[in-house]
Amino acid sequence: MTHNEIQSLVLAAIELTNQSREDAEQVPVSIDTPLFGKQGYLDSMGLVALLIDIEDMLQDQDINVSLSDERAMSAANSPFKNVSSLVEHIDHLLKGE
Amino acid sequence: MQHILVTGASRGLGLAIVQHLLAQGHLVIGCARSASDVSHPHYHHFEADVAIEEQVQALFIKIRKAFKYIDVLINNAGVARMNAFALTPFKNMRETMDVNYAGTFMCSQKAISLLRKSANPRIINMSTVAVPMNLQGEAAYAASKSAVESLTRVIAKELSTFNITCNAIGPSPIATDLISGVSEEKISRLVEQQSIQKMAKPEDVLNLVDFFMKPQSNMITGQIIYLGGIS
Repeated sequence: MTHNEIQSLVLAAIELTNQSREDAEQVPVSIDTPLFGKQGYLDSMGLVALLIDIEDMLQDQDINVSLSDERAMSAANSPFKNVSSLVEHIDHLLKGE
Repeated sequence: MQHILVTGASRGLGLAIVQHLLAQGHLVIGCARSASDVSHPHYHHFEADVAIEEQVQALFIKIRKAFKYIDVLINNAGVARMNAFALTPFKNMRETMDVNYAGTFMCSQKAISLLRKSANPRIINMSTVAVPMNLQGEAAYAASKSAVESLTRVIAKELSTFNITCNAIGPSPIATDLISGVSEEKISRLVEQQSIQKMAKPEDVLNLVDFFMKPQSNMITGQIIYLGGIS
């Protein structure tokens, strides 16, 4: 899966997440969107829901990967800080890094 | 017809739960380390060890592919080895924690995405009266189930966002394989400490399974219900 494909998948997952969120809670579908932590659009369970949606979408393509990470709730270096870092995180996982 | 996953499904209480749910017309997915003797058009068995992460992962991938979603996860798989604390081999303690606690942890975690697709998603865990009674000879077993109780309460809080309820059943002694190694005298002494001084039956557990599964039980979560009047 290429970097661009991962990025498209993550953005599609955000669109999916938005379907179950109120108008005032919509997450901007952009690579620059802060997701979790300071100024992030998602609380911890919102993040969990997004990650589960992404894992499901990857499984639909026969890619089985767990996005859980011990740095998940870290303010300094969470891979879920923004869309861009999340895409990087998935890219590294898929490459087995 | 609900989709219900039962771990530890091949014998004892797990088997009783499977047969009970099949009789109610549900689709039951069973998992155990061994094969199952159950033959029913609505029963699907998978061999997996809930203490091994890779096997749990593979199990849930297969379930997702075959059934798309589950309504209920019953974390029944468990091991119990009675022994004095001072004489309990470290390896046995580790195995007890791995199956009872880590197995429940991993299955519950992997089940979230499948449960989210259900209208009345439920996680039902198994504890024991050995936790509140602090029974001698059950240091590893009671501690592992104590961990399951804490997990139950935390999951109840975290997964309420997804309308998933998580509760646990704490059976008092029932004549199953799990307590086959315990002396009759010890069981009698234990039963005498209960408000209701008699052995429980599998039906008493099934009644609680039914209760937690009911759509009307959607306000009940994070609860541990013990049989026999133990508190």
